[in-house]
Amino acid sequence: MVVLSAARWVRSRLSDRFWRVQEVLKYARHFRGRKNRCYRLAVRSVRRAFVRSTKARREKKRSLRALWITRIEAASLEHGLKYPAFISNLVKSQVELNRKVLADLAIYEPKTFKSLAALAQRRRQEGFLAALGDGKEPEGIFSRIVHHH
Amino acid sequence: RYVRQLQRLQLLFSPTAADARGAREFVEEAAQDFARQHPDVVLYVSPHSGPGPAPVLRAEYLNGTVRDELIASKTSEEIVQLATKLANQSGLDIIRIRKPFHTDNPSVQGQWHPLTNKPSILTIQGPRLQPQ
Repeated sequence: MVVLSAARWVRSRLSDRFWRVQEVLKYARHFRGRKNRCYRLAVRSVRRAFVRSTKARREKKRSLRALWITRIEAASLEHGLKYPAFISNLVKSQVELNRKVLADLAIYEPKTFKSLAALAQRRRQEGFLAALGDGKEPEGIFSRIVHHH
Repeated sequence: RYVRQLQRLQLLFSPTAADARGAREFVEEAAQDFARQHPDVVLYVSPHSGPGPAPVLRAEYLNGTVRDELIASKTSEEIVQLATKLANQSGLDIIRIRKPFHTDNPSVQGQWHPLTNKPSILTIQGPRLQPQ
């Protein structure tokens, strides 16, 4: 007797259900309560956790930038400058350091940060002179712009 | 010189199971070519008779990590791709790397502490200073 197809009443049964369940539970192991053990609850919690982690990637950039700004503000206030003055004068002096690097410098290289604050202060004074003086004084030294072609 | 981090690949499957068909085809056709292309990886084929656990490709690395990959209901080509992927990996755990950089000496000028920018009169400890 040649059998070309399997009999209709023989159905294949799932043999790796354990691993399919573990694939989900392994992401729920550090949760609190029954969601770290029970598959039915864990599926929902794991999905929500993944969704939240995707959305949080956009928030992380914002919150880290806010953290850097807070730190730079604190460090520049130690040197007698406010944050907007510091940043704007650094940009005008063509120092293109981003806030991450400035925050790291403020923590790990305090003397470098002090010199940057002094540079920003000097550029600020020159800006005031140029705006208020309006005379025949020569242009400030740190107000000169270097053109890279 | 490049040292391959994969030590051995163990192909554990049952010769009669239905979902191990890809594994059987891999052993018949592609296992020899794979072993020839990767001479520093030892390939063990261990069929266990009768119904047993699901067919698995076990990779062991030089730093001791053992990685099991399910090969149930996979074609021979997919198993070849999986094996090459495992062969090109190192045994480090596959977790998120928090920072792509690391230093043992992060601070050259001395890390900031609350007394760095204060007048040094605050840090002097000596015989009683004269009031000025």
